[in-house]
Amino acid sequence: MRPLRSWFIAPSIVLMAATLAIPLAIICVYSVLTRGAYGGVEWPWTFENYSRLLDTLYGAIFARSFGIAAVATALCLVLGFPLALFIARSGSRKNLYLSLVILPFWTSFLIRTYAWMFLLRDTGLINTLLQALGLIRQPLPMLYNNGAVILGLVYGYLPFAVLPLYATVERLDPSLLEAAADLGARPITALARVTIPLSAPGIRAAAMLVFVPCLGTYLTSDLLGGSKTILIGNLVQNQFTASRDWPFGAAVSILLIAIAMALMLAARRHGPDLV
Amino acid sequence: MNRRTFLIGVAASPACARGARLNVYNWSDYIAPDTVANFEREFGARVRYGTYESNQEMLAQVMSGNSGWDVVFPSEDFIEPMRELGLLTPLRHEWLPNLDALDPAFQKPPWDPELRWSVPYMHGSTGILYQKSVVPAPSAWTALWDQRLRGRITMLDDATEVFGACLKKLGRSINSTDPAELLEAKQQAIAQKPLLRAYLNAEVRDQVVAGDVLAAEAWAVTAGQAIAAAPDKLAFAFPDEGFARFADNIAILRESRRVELAHKWINHLLRPEVAASIVSTTRTATANGAAQKLLPVEIRENPVLYPSAAILERGEWFRAQPSASQKLRDRLWTEIKSS
Amino acid sequence: MNTRMKVGMKKSLAVYAAAAYAFLYLPLLILAVFSVNASRFSVWQGFSARWYQAMLADHDLLESTANSLIIATASTLLATAIGTLAAYALWKRSSTWLSGSLYLSLVTPEIVTGVSLLAFYQWVFRYLHLQLGMHTVVLAHLSFSVAYVVLVVLARLRTFDPALEEAALDLGATELGAFRRVTLPYLAPAIAAAAMLAFTVSIDDYVITSLVAGVDSRTLPMVIYAMARRGVNPVLNAVSTVVVVALGALVLISERLRAS
Repeated sequence: MRPLRSWFIAPSIVLMAATLAIPLAIICVYSVLTRGAYGGVEWPWTFENYSRLLDTLYGAIFARSFGIAAVATALCLVLGFPLALFIARSGSRKNLYLSLVILPFWTSFLIRTYAWMFLLRDTGLINTLLQALGLIRQPLPMLYNNGAVILGLVYGYLPFAVLPLYATVERLDPSLLEAAADLGARPITALARVTIPLSAPGIRAAAMLVFVPCLGTYLTSDLLGGSKTILIGNLVQNQFTASRDWPFGAAVSILLIAIAMALMLAARRHGPDLV
Repeated sequence: MNRRTFLIGVAASPACARGARLNVYNWSDYIAPDTVANFEREFGARVRYGTYESNQEMLAQVMSGNSGWDVVFPSEDFIEPMRELGLLTPLRHEWLPNLDALDPAFQKPPWDPELRWSVPYMHGSTGILYQKSVVPAPSAWTALWDQRLRGRITMLDDATEVFGACLKKLGRSINSTDPAELLEAKQQAIAQKPLLRAYLNAEVRDQVVAGDVLAAEAWAVTAGQAIAAAPDKLAFAFPDEGFARFADNIAILRESRRVELAHKWINHLLRPEVAASIVSTTRTATANGAAQKLLPVEIRENPVLYPSAAILERGEWFRAQPSASQKLRDRLWTEIKSS
Repeated sequence: MNTRMKVGMKKSLAVYAAAAYAFLYLPLLILAVFSVNASRFSVWQGFSARWYQAMLADHDLLESTANSLIIATASTLLATAIGTLAAYALWKRSSTWLSGSLYLSLVTPEIVTGVSLLAFYQWVFRYLHLQLGMHTVVLAHLSFSVAYVVLVVLARLRTFDPALEEAALDLGATELGAFRRVTLPYLAPAIAAAAMLAFTVSIDDYVITSLVAGVDSRTLPMVIYAMARRGVNPVLNAVSTVVVVALGALVLISERLRAS
């Protein structure tokens, strides 16, 4: 090991230890401690926080989070795949179109979520337009429900899905499609029987890349879901702030990381190497 | 750079005192636009003024014991817990000559009879803020369980308040410590959830004014401001079954290193003219008796802020909960929020 | 017949793509349009710059923007430095621990990173008598920015021919000299691109920052969030437009640098 490399690698190792390893270790420890009367942590060891998670109440939250994340992911895949196809087949303007997809993703996620609040409110643009056109008389309650959260998630992560889909589709051998055409397949059939199956690794990668952040989402459900759509992320945030039950919040966090890591590891083994 | 220099540098940077600094943490919309500037000018200090939306939010921040805040405004049921947690500093009355400006009703409040830890600031009640277009006009907590208002009702994002409303609806005390009663209250809250739009505190004001929300559990403070913004559309009701009364108090955190300046701040707020000018902006009910005399008639006799004695009979002050009951309430609240 | 179908498919893909791009950009355009709307509500009432004026008069907003810029600059400089060095070290010889933890920092949900850092800080502060402030936010931002920097710089390094460095060493340069004179210039565009990415993620972060910010370090996203929760506020549209345009420009430049 060359000395220069060990100097170069030292700062990042210290940083990762300080901001990742030690904090997560602390959270692990907190998850088996007890909550103080008004908050804080106290020493008596207990696994009560984890056994509390087995309650159907929290099972429902996890189920809801999984469900919403799954629907959002499916939508991202369905909406993103044709877009990836388009970009891959647009010849010289590939990079331009790709940049145009990525661009919104890097501008503020918070603002993009707010944009939907603005549109979906009872007195927002969509309701105002519909009422002006005479299509409805009372405003439609489009905000503060699961649908709004899913919409916000799809809007937020669609570009994130397009990238790996594009990467896979772009690498497909065009001669395979030619062969399919030669055999008399219509473009739709070629798509269904050739392109999609061959893109399976990319689709799996995209699915994981979108599903994991959607599972742990906090901001989208907080702003678009009202206080009724409590997902795992909101539960964690709640325990660490208003409810002041750090040990329980820590237990939920550990469970969330475990699930996220398991999914990502599964994706890495079956999908292309993205990192 | 050695470790000591680094630590000194880091420790010094937040307290960069060029002219005394005071960090004040208050509820949102609870002060007049020029109060802070006037104080800064008169006492040669620089005030950092932050706001919060709930007692829980405030407590979560100051619990660590080194949040950086000097002055906070807890509600009456938080004074005792905060004192027990060692978060507050006792007040020195010799530094508060304006204390007699307080209304007699608030000079010996049940939660702090000697005013050793807090000074009452504003008070009010929790009731129902609603659109006049709702018929029949809501007059009891049961109105917030009305199916016809589905999706346009909000409740406060505050465990004590939601439990308060549910307990009153069941005919119990808002300070109940009986687990059976609390469980019943929880069921009520969960039954109500499908009808709710959201749990919102003062943030609901704009939505009520805009017409998005038809009926909201709201503080009289918020209601007063909303009605002032849309007088012919909105109204406030003190529920028949009874309601909660709250009083927000000024307290100094024990971690504060600027205790004398903090006292000056409290004394400044106790000045009748200052309190009156705050009220004319915030449209809240002040605990400052001398200030009340300076207020215009329409505020002094505003039934939302200063209800009649007959109505106040139905009100109940919040009391700090014993530890076991508090834990149960917090846990049930998580269950309500998560259902 | 097959060609006609192919063309038909291409056309429908193009139409679909147009709709998809519209979906992505329309909400932001609408925000921009309504930021110059004279009316508070969603009814068009003519052009007006009043919301931009209100935005510039809002002290809270301006101060939080200043905080955000300071924090972003500090964390970008540090993240770029640490990340570039780490990428180089990983390129020379991979390290499962470092790669694993960088990967973990990207995969961990933001809320978990935030609460774990909060717990860490509170535990440390009990012994060091410190408080939450700008420094805690900068450190928190480093925790996720470095991974992005490593991604970008490492990708570029993979197109670099190690023989060039070898040649420099053969000519008598030290390891550090070879890195400085040969590799670094090659990496320059990628480093710049990575810096811009680190800057944008730092400016936009809400979840983690809201948990670890102190009395003095309220950032722009925290103010935006508080405004968004209150509901009706056209000043927020003005702020949003400015932020989106600024960050968008930054990202475009970053992409160009990466492609070059």
